[in-house]
This record gives sequence, structure tokens and C-alpha cells, in this order.
Amino acid sequence: MATATTTIKRGVPPLQAGQGRSFFWRRLHSLSGIVPVGAFLLEHFVSNAFATNGPFAYRDQVKFLTSLPFVPVLEIFGIYLPLLYHALYGFYIWFRGQTNVNDYPWAGNFMYSAQRWTGAVAFIYIGWHTYTMRFTGTHLMGSGAQAAFNKVQVEMHNPWALAFYIVGITAASWHFAYGLYLFAAKWGITVSAKSRKYFGMACTAIAVTLIAVGLATIWAFVGPKWPNTPEKLPAEQTTLDGNRH
Amino acid sequence: MAKTVVLKIKRQVNPDAEPRWEEFELTWKSGMNVISAMMEIAANPVTRSGQPTTPVAYDSNCLEEVCGSCAMLINGKARMACSALVDKLEQPVRVEPLSKFPLVRDLAVDRSVLFENLKRVKAWVPVDGTYDLGSGPRVYPTEQEEAYPMSRCISCCCCMEACPQFNESTGFVGAATIAQVRLFNQHPTGKALKHERLQALMGDGGIQECGFAQNCVEVCPKDIPLTKAISDTGREVMKQAFKDFFRG
Ligand code: SF4
Ligand code: SF4
Ligand code: FES
Repeated sequence: MATATTTIKRGVPPLQAGQGRSFFWRRLHSLSGIVPVGAFLLEHFVSNAFATNGPFAYRDQVKFLTSLPFVPVLEIFGIYLPLLYHALYGFYIWFRGQTNVNDYPWAGNFMYSAQRWTGAVAFIYIGWHTYTMRFTGTHLMGSGAQAAFNKVQVEMHNPWALAFYIVGITAASWHFAYGLYLFAAKWGITVSAKSRKYFGMACTAIAVTLIAVGLATIWAFVGPKWPNTPEKLPAEQTTLDGNRH
Repeated sequence: MAKTVVLKIKRQVNPDAEPRWEEFELTWKSGMNVISAMMEIAANPVTRSGQPTTPVAYDSNCLEEVCGSCAMLINGKARMACSALVDKLEQPVRVEPLSKFPLVRDLAVDRSVLFENLKRVKAWVPVDGTYDLGSGPRVYPTEQEEAYPMSRCISCCCCMEACPQFNESTGFVGAATIAQVRLFNQHPTGKALKHERLQALMGDGGIQECGFAQNCVEVCPKDIPLTKAISDTGREVMKQAFKDFFRG
């Protein structure tokens, strides 16, 4: 084995010391999951949670977001491109890995696989969600904001869509929370086993919180509080099915 | 009838031959391990069904889990055969060669990729002067305690075999080499090459390929804190990358 110039012809090739650009792209992938993609996810959960305060609060939040300056720029460079990069490079990472949970059925290894599956589910869900909410149906820009509650509610009347929302929200929450854990571990923030353990618990709490917020938001649309909210909201003072005062 | 143990061993006469399974039934002995079982097979190479065969080829040396040569897949998991006590294994014991290293014969594989990787990160202390440099700097006990666990690596390659990221398409360097970078970067004289080692780990197949599945730390027979070493080195590599970019 120890000849002066070892030439390895078969098997896993040795490290390409200092060569190539994959370090940059892989670290960028890791970072992009936190900012901007993760940050947007949090904003999106918070904004949608305004629905739990009713259609008017929801309309106001939609109005606020759609009236931000440079919305198209924010959308393209803050959301679409980073998200697409994170997703597509993520699939590239997935296909080059060699999952082996069957042989090594351990927690970390299970999460390694789950991170890939939840990512894929979240990506498909986000694609569909963006298509139906952003690119089809009533446009929510400008005065369209008031139709937002109705638009989501109508979509959720379909039980399949509702189920997809629940699955998608859960997958995205899980993927983001464990992504935080992975980020801290790989970038050398949580080096000790102890810090990783506690941060792991914190990430679990983050996942549970996000899922809970997501479900509470869904409940605002499908629950008994604001049923059949119209596309055109009445003037603020009037009651909506006797519930808004 | 005396108590027996059954071993199912994957055999392959050469790298290009078709693999085949052979079953052996041996009389149970107390304290038997997978290597001692194969020694008995070598003494009497007859399969369970009575077919004469050849002794099984495998690497081993120390028989006490310090040389690192006897790594193989035992019941599907990478581990050292000499410390795999038969009494603690599910029967029949399935024995296969490591799957991610070029096969030589039967259970013997070529693990030189680890040696090559260690060379590429300069996993040594550079003291090749032509005159006596005197004694090196003092290493304090706290530092020794941190370094010692990593110095116990026996180059068995179990951590690489079990790693989902270690494969031909990633060309990932594997946990062992990263831990050795961590070890030699900490050494007061070894530090001289710190930036070179970190820059090497930024290359294709470098530390970025780790997906933090944490199998490495689970299978390592020497209980080396591999995930800690990867995390710590991940930070150092990142710092080096920033330094290289902003300070040139
Ligand atoms: S943490 Fe996982 S991906 Fe990283 S080296 Fe260990 S086994 Fe491989
Ligand atoms: S780090 Fe552990 S598993 Fe990996 S080669 Fe060294 S001793 Fe073996
Ligand atoms: S023979 Fe040395 S480690 Fe097993």
C-alpha cells in the first residue's frame, strides 16, 4: 500500500485537496436555508398567523406586505432564486448521498434521511402553494388584499388541499428546525456534545411551535369562527356573521 | 449435540469474480470472536454442508482492537472482527467485506484511500530538519486530554464505511482524516501547517460533504469524538476561508 506515489484507481477517490468550488456552493446552500429562505419561512408563518385575528387583520397584513417597496425585487432575489437554489442543490446533495438507515438505524442517520424527504415534500408543496396562491386566482396586490382570507378559505374547502397544507407545513417546519441544528453543528457553533444536545431540544421546540402556529392558522380558515368569508369584505364596522365587533 | 455457532461468509476469489456465500458451523467455545472463528475455519476449511473449501482471506494482526486491520461488515455493520464476540451476535453471523473499498479477496479490502487522504492533509508534525531542534514546546495536560482521544485512531475506516456521504460520487474525505486535521492543528509544532490542512479540507470531497448523519461517531471502535472534531474543524475551515478571501 505505501508506495511513494499511491495511485488509487478504484473505489472512493481521495480528497481533492484545495481544488474545486464545492466548498463555496455547499456552504452557500447551508446558509441560504437560514437566510433568506428560513427567515422568509418565519415571516410567512407570522404573517399568516394574523388570520387568527380574523379576515380584517389578515387583509391588513397582506396589504402591508404587498405594499412593501420593491416587491418584485424582494420576491425574486429574496425568495424565488434562493429557494430554487436551495431546493435544486439540495436534490443534487441527496442524489450523491447513499442513505443507509436500514443498516445503521440510529437517530442522527434517520434525521439525515428525513432531512432529504421533508425537503422534497416541502419543495413540492411550496411549488403548488405558490402556483395557486400567487400565480392563479384573484391577485392579492392592492385592493385585492381583502380577498386573501376568502381565497385561502375556499382552497381549504377541498379536503385534499387541506391535507396537503398540513403535510406541507409539517415538513417545512421540520426541515427548517433540523436545518438550524445542522447549520450550528457544521459551522462549528455547537461543537460540544452537550451544546448539540441542548440545541437539538431547542430545535425540536422550534419545530413543534411552528407546526402549532401553522395548525392554529389553518383552524382560523376552516374553524367555525369566520365561515364563508366573502371575497369583498364589508366595511370595517359591520359584523361578519356576528363575530367581528 | 455440542453447542455450535453458524457463520455466513461472503467469499470472492478476486476483484472481478462473482461473490458467493458460504456457511460454516463451528463448535462453540467460550470467548469466541469472529477472527478466532475464521482461524478455526482455516484449520478445517469445510462448509456446513461438508464441501471442502479454501481458508477465508482477511486482514488482522493485533487481535486486541489496536491495529485497525480487521474491519469488516458483521451483521451488516462496520466493526472490528477481533472484538466482535460471537456470543453477543445474532446467529447466523453474517460476515462481509467493507463495501466501499476495492476488494482484494474475500474479506480483505484495499483501504489505501485513507492513507492517501492523510497525506493530502499533511497529517504529520513537520520536524524534518538536519539538526537537533531541541525539545518542543510544552503541551499542557488540558491540551493533552483533548488531543489524546483523537490520537487513538487506528485507521480502520469504519467511520468511512458507515458514512452515507462517503462514496464514489462525493469523493468525501471521511471523518477520520478530519479528526486527524483537528489533532495535528492543535499540536504546538504541528500547527505550522494548520492553514494548509484547512485549505486542503476546502477542496472537492472536503469537510463540506459531511451531512452530519453521525454514523461515524457511533461506529468508531475507539470512541473518538468525531462529530465534535468535524464541528470544530468546520469552524476553523470557515475562518480560514474568510481569512483567505478578505486578507488574501
Ligand atoms: S457525521 Fe455523518 S456525514 Fe459526517 S462524517 Fe460522520 S457519518 Fe459521515
Ligand atoms: S476515526 Fe475511529 S472509525 Fe475512523 S478510522 Fe479512526 S478509529 Fe476507525
Ligand atoms: S486485528 Fe487489530 S484491530 Fe482487529
